[in-house]
Amino acid sequence: MMWSWIPGNGSQIWQLTQENIYLGVVPALYGLVLSLPLGILAARWRWFYPPVLTVTNILYAVPSLALFIALIPSLGLTNTNVVVALTVYSVCVILPNVVAGLRSVPDDVRQAATAMGYRPLRRLITVELPLALPVIIGGLRVGVVSGISLASVGQLIGVSSLGYLFVDGEQRDFPTEIYVGLFLVIALALACDLILVAIRRAVTPWMGERKRSAVPARSAAGEGAAPESTLEAVPQ
Amino acid sequence: MSFFSWAWDWVIQRSNWNGQGSIPQQIVAHLGYSGLPLLIAALIAIPAGVAIGHTGRGATLVINIANAWRAIPTLGLLVLLVVLLGFSALTWLLPLVVLAIPPMLVNSYEGVAGVDPGVRDAARGMGMTTWQQVTRVEMPIALPLILVGLRTSAVFVVATATIAAYIGLGGLGRFIIDGLASDQYGPVAGGALLVVVLAILVLILFAVLSRLLVPAGLRTRRREG
Amino acid sequence: MITFERVTKRYPDGTVAVHALDLDVPAGQTMVLVGPSGCGKTTSLRMINRLIEPSEGRILLDGQDVRDQDPARLRRGIGYVIQQAGLFPHRTVQDNIATVPVLVGTGRSSARARAREMLALVGLDQELATRYPHQLSGGQQQRVGVARALAADPPVLLMDEPFSAVDPLVRSSLQDELIALQAQLHKTIVLVTHDIEEAIKVGDRIALFHPHGTIAQVGSPERLLGAPADSYVANFVGFDRGIRRLSFVAAGGLRLDSGPVLDAATTVEQARTGAQGQQWLLVTTEGRPAGWVPAERLAALPADLPLSQVPAEGFGHSFTVGTESLRVALDAAVLSPAGLAIGVDGDGRVLGLASFDDLRAAITAASRQEMASREPEPTALGQDEAVPQEEAVPKEVVSQEDSQPTSSAGAAP
Repeated sequence: MMWSWIPGNGSQIWQLTQENIYLGVVPALYGLVLSLPLGILAARWRWFYPPVLTVTNILYAVPSLALFIALIPSLGLTNTNVVVALTVYSVCVILPNVVAGLRSVPDDVRQAATAMGYRPLRRLITVELPLALPVIIGGLRVGVVSGISLASVGQLIGVSSLGYLFVDGEQRDFPTEIYVGLFLVIALALACDLILVAIRRAVTPWMGERKRSAVPARSAAGEGAAPESTLEAVPQ
Repeated sequence: MSFFSWAWDWVIQRSNWNGQGSIPQQIVAHLGYSGLPLLIAALIAIPAGVAIGHTGRGATLVINIANAWRAIPTLGLLVLLVVLLGFSALTWLLPLVVLAIPPMLVNSYEGVAGVDPGVRDAARGMGMTTWQQVTRVEMPIALPLILVGLRTSAVFVVATATIAAYIGLGGLGRFIIDGLASDQYGPVAGGALLVVVLAILVLILFAVLSRLLVPAGLRTRRREG
Repeated sequence: MITFERVTKRYPDGTVAVHALDLDVPAGQTMVLVGPSGCGKTTSLRMINRLIEPSEGRILLDGQDVRDQDPARLRRGIGYVIQQAGLFPHRTVQDNIATVPVLVGTGRSSARARAREMLALVGLDQELATRYPHQLSGGQQQRVGVARALAADPPVLLMDEPFSAVDPLVRSSLQDELIALQAQLHKTIVLVTHDIEEAIKVGDRIALFHPHGTIAQVGSPERLLGAPADSYVANFVGFDRGIRRLSFVAAGGLRLDSGPVLDAATTVEQARTGAQGQQWLLVTTEGRPAGWVPAERLAALPADLPLSQVPAEGFGHSFTVGTESLRVALDAAVLSPAGLAIGVDGDGRVLGLASFDDLRAAITAASRQEMASREPEPTALGQDEAVPQEEAVPKEVVSQEDSQPTSSAGAAP
């Protein structure tokens, strides 16, 4: 491990880090924006969800590299290509959590709100979404963490990110570079995860400090631990 | 030209189906490079997840793994091992096994830990030994989630095996990596399409498996309350 | 059959769930452990089949320390029913019931045949055998849980709040069925509940726990109602225990000649004489009560009108002389506009009418008899003794009180 390499290439490393952050976080946010209306519709219209879920299951199974490649004819070898692909993955992850989160709102809470005079839209925004928030943020966490890691694959089609350190390190047979890349990707992903946890705590003060259980989104106001558990609602 | 037309044109070329590095060869290779790590990982992850779910010990570890495993960039891991170890069986086997473990571990744990406490108490109270409780009650009930974990790992391993072509592995990724290197979009698109088809076949396989193995009593899981 | 010897359960954080418990569970009877939340009743139950191990003391099952046996083997010989039934969702109803027989080695097809017998025993339709638990109602699931516990014909049955999770109507019928089953099977049952009414209805003997792991009183339901050991027991048992105790006294000795009973074909004129100056007449059709007619109503009516055409008041309910209790008779008298309880036979035919005076006489006689049978209380309670226990009472007297079948006495309409 050649430590001296790091300060020497500091600006390049920083540049690549910024690009990776962008490629990891922005698609997740786009994914959130897309998942919210779709998820609200799916939670409301029961018939809508199973076909949507099938589509997202299939899309999520598509390997990232293949998806980047499929977008080349239309989007070329650009950042947009990776952003679009990762947005698709984010929707696949966040949408089920939006639905699970909304469904986890206890029926009596919903009915009490209606009985008090809330119209559906206001009830949605001021009562249901806030209660669904922990689960939705859980999905966002998965989206961001996997996005930051998947962005590095984009390097194979030339889209710059910390993945450059892997490719270059391999070509030059230079482990230090790879270690740095690995460390930064993982640290970045975990840092974003922690930030989102902090945001969740700040935004849902009523939940208190909960001991995280891995038993998934099905428990009311629990977090979607992993989309696998929400993906398990595959229509039989 | 669209992605599909590029891919289709390349796939239907007869020359790609014969000789060294042909499509059928790479498909078989890809299945091998996916299947073996999956099998090894399953033998490690599922018993571990079930045991942790049954006893509750080590649950925090599993939860942390559930969070953290997606952060690991597969490309980086593959590349690191090839640089440190050169290219060998271990170079691709190790990262693929390591990456395949978390979904099965986490889902097996969740499946068993999520078994109704009343059911677990009844099984124990009726006189089942620990082994009987786990094999006759907890694992069958956890089966849907265990299958989901297997499916997630399978899909993930198929994708990662594709990328492993970058460090020299065969399989369908070969077409992609070589095509990218030589600026030929045909094999790139073709290889990508084949990988997608393979991934979808895996999904279908698991849907069928689930329908066959999961008893009717477990399929309608949602009851009020 | 089951004996607790100075059993204590202490947890690592210092809480004592059960403190120096001494308790005898006689064979073939239903012993109910009852008390407030956290009193140690469930912990005590779960120590019998070693789901929890005592910190001190020992538990004997049929003379043998339960710790001498391998826990799994021990549990296979003890039926276990829990609040949420705990049915295996991945198995059909019959495979659920067949679980223990299969565990002990019975072949699957004979185990399933046995399971179907059990279904009939708990009053469920055979067609439920191949259904899955989620397709059953709560009450049905509880019944399957009981069937499952009984499938291997264990001599002992442990039940932990078995009926708490179902609604009151279902709970009542499940309790009745348990009583009927027990009359048939004579298992040794230990049942935990927080509901004193359930304990009184179902139990042959009740062990009432103090809030923190000791016993306040052990005795028959009548004993707890009639002679609570201290104010805690009296409060727990409830404020109207005097009246509730009447559920255990048969209505057989009541005088039944306190009022006029006339057939509906009787004319008004005949009724005026037949009324003998009473204010109310009971009209019967085919011997069965039809309604009450106030005597003053007869004054204005045509003489040859049959009573069947005279508007009458409803009669509430009657009490069956041979089988029902003084409590039912008292309630019938309270509900009747005439203040008279209608005594009927097994076919519902009127045997006679009992007034409040008659009832008072019967109640006083019962109290006197009960007081005469009571053993003087032990004067000094040593610190090591749990409570005044029933073994001091001579067996003949206990059995005399216990002769009222708890089931019918407690079954209010």
